[in-house]
Amino acid sequence: MTLNTTAETETAKIARGLRERDMELLADLVERSQRRLVRYLLYLIGRRDYAEDLAQETWIRVLQRGSQYNGRQRFDLWLFAIARNLAIDYLRKKRKAVQTASLPDDRDEILLVSSSGPSPFEAAARSEDAIRLAGQLQILSPLYREALLLRFQEDLSLAEIAQVLGAPVTTVTSRIYRGLAALRSAFEEGGDSPGV
Amino acid sequence: MIRLECDKRFRELIDRSFVEEVSEGERRLMHDHIRDCDGCKRYVELTGRTIRGLREFTFTSEPDSSAQVREILAHHTETMRQHNVRFKIWAAFAVALSMSFIGSALVYQMVKYLAVRTHFDAAQVQAGVLVFWLLPSFCSALCLLAARGENRGIA
Repeated sequence: MTLNTTAETETAKIARGLRERDMELLADLVERSQRRLVRYLLYLIGRRDYAEDLAQETWIRVLQRGSQYNGRQRFDLWLFAIARNLAIDYLRKKRKAVQTASLPDDRDEILLVSSSGPSPFEAAARSEDAIRLAGQLQILSPLYREALLLRFQEDLSLAEIAQVLGAPVTTVTSRIYRGLAALRSAFEEGGDSPGV
Repeated sequence: MIRLECDKRFRELIDRSFVEEVSEGERRLMHDHIRDCDGCKRYVELTGRTIRGLREFTFTSEPDSSAQVREILAHHTETMRQHNVRFKIWAAFAVALSMSFIGSALVYQMVKYLAVRTHFDAAQVQAGVLVFWLLPSFCSALCLLAARGENRGIA
């Protein structure tokens, strides 16, 4: 109960600060969330350089639309949702620029075709198992990578992940299970099955 | 065939136990099964290893990344404040201007009524309102705009 009240006070304080464009509060939020935001964007688009740029764009959007944050949900969930929309818009524009083929209408489908370039996962792997997973992560669909990150690195609940993704909980669980199944193959004997 | 169905049911339960809460009964059922099933035991090991592996990625952002973001935000905040001030000044000017015209119209009506009573000429009344009411109030609005703009460095 006390913890809940504290959390509410914290989000209410953030909401007020964003409304008033309090630079001190914004600097504190950047300090606390920048690394997690870049990591989230890396999992979404699989490119370090773009992730850093999009993280900056995300913070500018937070500044411009700060009054839309109502303080009823966790700030990081709202931040991730903004970053996700920006990443999808960015990839949509990028694809429009490089090809004339028609784009899928479904926003999630845009993410399915975004993996390219050098892997940031190998650079971030800190154990033998992580190194084995890095290759699989790079070819895994960003939709599954995103769900796995939010569940096992951000430790969000399924309901919270659904909030970020704007998708039902059943979709979230299905993405997690499929992602896990694809990654598990990295450890199976002769496991070279392709990513989902 | 029966074995496959059994496996599928337990594999789903194992997956669920890693991703969300399962009931105590389900957990006990799963553990009892795993004790006797090598396939599922291996499945649990691999899933656990995969999740542990996922937690062993350490991403670092560029060292000056946060500082850069803070700088960009400070710049944007300043730009937005200036836009905001400019908008407020023009909005205030528009209100002052419309008030001066509305005020003039009201004064004109009142003076016209008095002019009839006191036998003044309509043209004289119009000139009086223009010189003594409309022009001064219009100039006041302009002065207000110029002074505020100068104070904010945007005149």
